[in-house]
Amino acid sequence: MVFLRLAFQNLNRHRTRSLLALFGIATSVAVLFSILSFNKGFEKGLAKELERTGIHFMVVPSGCPHEVASLVLHGSIIPKYLDLAVMDKITILEGIEFASPILVAQLPNPAQKRVDLVYGIEMAKLLQLKPHWKIQGAVPKDDTEIILGAEMAGHQGLKVGDTVAYPNVNASFRVSGILEKTGSQDDAFIYMPVKAAQAIFKRPSGATAVGVKVKDPALLTTITDGLAEQVPGIQIVTMNQVMSSISTLAASAKVLGLSVAIIAILVSAVGVMNAMLMSVFERTQEIGMMRAIGAPRSDIFRIILVEGMLLTMAGGLAGILVSVAGNDLIGLFVRRIMPYAPAGSMARFDAGIAGASLLFAVLVGVCSGVYPAWKASRIQPIEAIKG
Amino acid sequence: MIELRGVEKIYRRGAEELHALRGIDLDIAKGEFLSIVGPSGSGKSSLLHILGCLDRPTKGTMKFDDLNVEHMSETELDGIRSRKIGFVFQQFYLMPGLSVFDNVTLPKVFSRQKIDVDKIASLIATVGLHNRMKHFPNQLSGGEMQRVAIARALANDPEIVLADEPTGNLDTLNSEKIFDLLRSLHRKGYTIVMVTHNNDLASRADRTVLLKDGLQTAA
Repeated sequence: MVFLRLAFQNLNRHRTRSLLALFGIATSVAVLFSILSFNKGFEKGLAKELERTGIHFMVVPSGCPHEVASLVLHGSIIPKYLDLAVMDKITILEGIEFASPILVAQLPNPAQKRVDLVYGIEMAKLLQLKPHWKIQGAVPKDDTEIILGAEMAGHQGLKVGDTVAYPNVNASFRVSGILEKTGSQDDAFIYMPVKAAQAIFKRPSGATAVGVKVKDPALLTTITDGLAEQVPGIQIVTMNQVMSSISTLAASAKVLGLSVAIIAILVSAVGVMNAMLMSVFERTQEIGMMRAIGAPRSDIFRIILVEGMLLTMAGGLAGILVSVAGNDLIGLFVRRIMPYAPAGSMARFDAGIAGASLLFAVLVGVCSGVYPAWKASRIQPIEAIKG
Repeated sequence: MIELRGVEKIYRRGAEELHALRGIDLDIAKGEFLSIVGPSGSGKSSLLHILGCLDRPTKGTMKFDDLNVEHMSETELDGIRSRKIGFVFQQFYLMPGLSVFDNVTLPKVFSRQKIDVDKIASLIATVGLHNRMKHFPNQLSGGEMQRVAIARALANDPEIVLADEPTGNLDTLNSEKIFDLLRSLHRKGYTIVMVTHNNDLASRADRTVLLKDGLQTAA
């Protein structure tokens, strides 16, 4: 306990220097903690969102798997179309619970001077495909009705019962329902019956993808293998493949982020070592006195090491607190740079990650304290009396 | 208790050799109050370093309780300093973040001895600071800080107290008080060795060793 107080006393004596070293550690631990928390939150959010899609696999035209992942998760536009004849081949397969075509495309909206994103879907299967959705109003009954994403409705000030007109394609739709805010890309779409979408985009039998749910997920591989054999020119992407594809992307971002964090930690560790070396140098006489009154080298070593650990532990705690407080800001940043980010708050406080980050900070304290502690333990007691 | 025979101390500064002590023979008996005086550079500090097992003689022998110390390992010397010697410094060297009580317990902490709260309190009372136990060094006067340093020197029940200019940073009144305190400790049976510039205080010790150019000129 006395050692702890001695270490604290030394840090407290040069507050500015200690605070600067602490700031360096806090910053780097905040970066480390944020990256680990966001990565974990990202993976959890991703798994949850895929679970919510209500389908087991997607049938898409052959192409890039990242495009498919984007399509599945936030309806991005793929400039390739499937012929819906493929639907017949899917539905006759044994073990299929349902198959639903999806047509995603851009529709110019001259009145608003913008381009709207249209998501054509079979309205009868809407709640099976999007089971987590909450809709104010009703699901469209026919091809003249649409549902608006929350953001879409909010921008244009539209309510249930209003009409949205697209004179450029001679179409107008009544808003039958507005999707409650999901916090995901779903909020930015206009959802219309797939037949209406096919009509306005002049692709009477076209679809961007077909979402399929099987009766028994254990038979998924058998079904997808059979389908791939029977229908050439298609690509089958299971939700696990989508998850793995996005996770790989997230893992690359994590490695990059961790590299930056480790460089920051190394720099701050040098700062801590420098602060402690200066402090040891200034306290030569005091350390000499402790040696003179019987402190063995090991005790001096321990006091200085505890000092480093205290400093980095306090820095680590501060970094974690700052990171937790700034979660939302960091979330906004991540959403900007990542091609896909799950809905809702990504980073939640995780005791395991906080503990690991703190432990890492203490380890940095030990590493950067070893040399100053060794130097201090070499001070001869005679230094004290020399004055 | 302490026996020095032909002790020399030579410091080397580049090619130059500085003879700090040139053959000192000295016996210090248990319970003695000895003062060491001499002008600056006379070798009194070097002698005190050797007596306190902080430094080893270049030539000659030193025995502490019949044990030859010049070939002892550093750990053995740590042990002797911790158990048998109490140090009082001119600059006090109290730990600013520790209370009077905690400062006095430091030697016990370093020597891994059990802290007897009553004994420490009684030591602090001995130096007249029983009402200052929870105070911190910055709340004390110079004289009071030196009293704490003396109590700290006594914490491990040493056989000898070595005081290096204990009144060097104090005014006349406080110097007298500190000297009286050392005197009262001597009466209680402690062996005291005091290095000082103050000839008046030195003359009131049982015996005075006068050093000049590393040589003992009177004893």
